[in-house]
Amino acid sequence: MTDCTSLAPPPALTRAGLRRLWLAAAVLGLAALCAAALRLGVRPVGWSAVWTALTAFDAGNADHIVVRHMRLPRLGGALLAGAALGLAGALMQGLTRNPLADPGLLGINGGAALGVALCVLVLGITDPAEFVWMALGGALASSVLVFLLGGGSRAGTLRLVLAGAAVSALFLALTRGLLLVSRQTLEVYRFWVLGGFDGIVPATLAALAPFLAAGAGLAALAAPGLNALLLGEDSATGLGVRTGLARLAAGAAIVLLCGASVAMAGPIAFAGLIVPHLARWTAGPDMRRVMLFSAVFGAQLLTAAELLGRLPLFGGTMQAGVMTALIGGPVLIWLVRRNGVRSL
Amino acid sequence: MTWTLRISGLSLQISRHSLLAGLAAAAVLAAAAGLALLLGSYPLSLAGILDALLGKGGGLHRLIVLDLRLPRILAALGAGAAFGLSGAMFQVMMRNPLAAPDVIGFNAGASCGALCAMMLTGGMVLPGAIAGALLTAAAVTLLAWKDGLPPERLILTGVGASLALAAAADLLMSRMDVLSAADMAQWLAGSLNARTWRDAALVWSGLAVLAPVVLWLHFPLARLAMDDGIATGLGLPLARLRLAVTATGILLAALAVSTAGPLPFVAFAAGPIARRLIPGGRPALLGAAACGALITLLADCAARAVPAVQLPAGVFTALIGAPLLLWLLIAHVRKGAL
Repeated sequence: MTDCTSLAPPPALTRAGLRRLWLAAAVLGLAALCAAALRLGVRPVGWSAVWTALTAFDAGNADHIVVRHMRLPRLGGALLAGAALGLAGALMQGLTRNPLADPGLLGINGGAALGVALCVLVLGITDPAEFVWMALGGALASSVLVFLLGGGSRAGTLRLVLAGAAVSALFLALTRGLLLVSRQTLEVYRFWVLGGFDGIVPATLAALAPFLAAGAGLAALAAPGLNALLLGEDSATGLGVRTGLARLAAGAAIVLLCGASVAMAGPIAFAGLIVPHLARWTAGPDMRRVMLFSAVFGAQLLTAAELLGRLPLFGGTMQAGVMTALIGGPVLIWLVRRNGVRSL
Repeated sequence: MTWTLRISGLSLQISRHSLLAGLAAAAVLAAAAGLALLLGSYPLSLAGILDALLGKGGGLHRLIVLDLRLPRILAALGAGAAFGLSGAMFQVMMRNPLAAPDVIGFNAGASCGALCAMMLTGGMVLPGAIAGALLTAAAVTLLAWKDGLPPERLILTGVGASLALAAAADLLMSRMDVLSAADMAQWLAGSLNARTWRDAALVWSGLAVLAPVVLWLHFPLARLAMDDGIATGLGLPLARLRLAVTATGILLAALAVSTAGPLPFVAFAAGPIARRLIPGGRPALLGAAACGALITLLADCAARAVPAVQLPAGVFTALIGAPLLLWLLIAHVRKGAL
């Protein structure tokens, strides 16, 4: 908590104004990024061709095919996965009040990884497009397990965090064992684990969209309750908040959002962990605003990472998950050095 | 019932409770070590083992017990204890149950260093790993330093470095040929295969050197666990203490990695498990060391018990540690720190 020792009332108007300005700038930046993502790449396309590809698609035009069938689905994936991860990270850190908590902590990434490894080993499937449902199934199963072991809706924060870390480690150990036993699984897995949007198709996006929408809706419902929970369990109960219900909604939202994003893009570690910190720096402690900012920042981060990975500068084949961490890590360290840290 | 032990300027309070806990831990570890001596493809009876330990019995028995099994067991116990101590120190200092040496980039640095060494020289994996880990930890500590070392800054800086390096390691893995990748996957899992007296001697002499430092940090560390206000009020030099704890924790982790490779989960889980088995408000550093040693030894036994698939011990540390932690979480729903 930040201590407010000054007796003067905080300049509320200017602060709120600044926040709106930040949000407007972030949304504008996101729009610019989207336009750039459609235009740039190994094969640059002019603005007019981008526009006509979106409005009057011509199946015989190579530029149109690149924009419409290759860049647009990837952009959609990056926007959805980024917003989902940012939102889920904000929920997770708000729920556990632990700055180290990331969506993967609920066992989601571990479950998805095990699902994919089993899928290769048992079913012999090696086409990444088919991993979606195995990853989603693994993510859902393991997160339900974590939630039950963590004490369900009555879960104490610490117990949930420890249970999540234990189950994640357990699943990752099983996965590691499978990789060591089967070379074919290793061969497929070491590319999946990089996380990215290669080979994403609109049908996959459409199939996962309902999960994301339900997750976002639950997140919105859970926000006021989480705000009260930040004051501590007893204060929240005293305010008349049904803490168990708020936790359950937040937990379900995290699972839906992360499960869908890991199915779509593989395990992307950085966005869900770091974006909420950036959001708290700009939006203050209110969970509702933190969630909104996190969604926008997360979408920005992944869109930028996806675009940069496709530029000739990086050989045009760098996975978004790797780019996110390679760029995000140094940026985060620089921000921490400059701004200090606001604790939860 | 407490006894006070005074050695010139240093005094230690030992309660009956912690003495009993210590004895119990020693007994469990001894039993596990005995079990580990019995395990293996060459069948030995308890009597045969005792004979070999006492220097009697046939030459083959002596070779198997004294030169193959015993050093490996001692190396496992030493590496596990070092991991456990290191993790518990970080958890107490950062007041965060999720903290472990890898929070400040230790594991990611080690993996990256090992992979770079493999790609550049085709070998030198261990020196590369240790160099990578130490460099990363030093860089993170330097970058997080600004008139002191507040835990939040250290954690966030470490996470930034850790994730970037882990991504770089994944990238290197995907750019290798599949044979090297499989070899590296074996090493990165952590294993205690073919450990000799030299390895056991290294880890135990390292522990012997660092033990007085840990003992000396024990008292201030317990005060660091509360909050900065209390610690400052007691006149503790916060920044210097945190630096000392970080350095000690990193050295312990490096010691463990050079003995057993980057075994996952031990450093993280030993503290919380000890905390639940040995109640009491102090940082249970010794308990964490004992738990780490036990998990590592049992994991190595499991790796040896399944000779058909050559799985390294690192696959089993989490398989053994995680259920134990979960069971304790379910059994003791106690509110408490860490």
